[in-house]
Amino acid sequence: MGLRSFIHRLTAPKPPGSISLDDKLKMVFVVNHELKMGKGKIAAQVAHAAVKATLACGEKDPSLLDAWFKTGQKKICVKGDSAKHLDELSNQAKKGGILSNKIHDAGHTQIPAGSFTVLALGPCRDEEVETITGDLKLL
Amino acid sequence: MSALSEPPTMAFLCRSDLELSAGKLAVQCAHAAIGSLKQAKKTHSRMVQRWQETASRKICLSVDDEEDLMYFLGLAKEASLPYSLVQDAGLTEIAPGTATVLGVGPAPRHTMDHLFSELKTYD
Repeated sequence: MGLRSFIHRLTAPKPPGSISLDDKLKMVFVVNHELKMGKGKIAAQVAHAAVKATLACGEKDPSLLDAWFKTGQKKICVKGDSAKHLDELSNQAKKGGILSNKIHDAGHTQIPAGSFTVLALGPCRDEEVETITGDLKLL
Repeated sequence: MSALSEPPTMAFLCRSDLELSAGKLAVQCAHAAIGSLKQAKKTHSRMVQRWQETASRKICLSVDDEEDLMYFLGLAKEASLPYSLVQDAGLTEIAPGTATVLGVGPAPRHTMDHLFSELKTYD
């Protein structure tokens, strides 16, 4: 970075809502616990959700995605009660302007086709998503 | 070979000896998925496209320990497949720098079946 742009970065006002590398960011996966999936199955579903959420964020807000990558792309998994519960959380997230991506299983193994398996929220600031998932237990 | 019967596949090789919790394992696989996809976009972009147009098939396989994981990492490298080795930051459950999961692909399903034929799916 040149000196001029360095000074500019220090002194220029931040655009509203912008993400900086000082922000703590994370992606949260809410797993539908009602389905009783095995560990490997859950992992594959969460990986689906991670890829979908990452690509969606890349389209909608590339600077946010970049900041999340540079800050270690933190991810956590929590337990949701049911498909209905995941839907409610998704609606709350959308109202709060948080990216929300749903994964429905093709049903090749373990569970019925079309089951709502995982909800991915974010990436977004820790405190934003914690208002929605803060009470849920870690998986 | 039709795209439907032979969808390109991404595999996650997970160390069973670490006995990670479901949530921890899932996060490691999510890291591996994004890492391997980033790599594949640079070197195997047509395969990525086909993978996304089909089911984005993903499977979790079980390896016994770190030595096993590194053996299959060697195979993936030899076959010039995209891969991503996840080393945990060690904030929870395990020591920092522990290799936990290897993501490989997306690659043709028959290539994966051939390379990893002796591995069982992770339960």
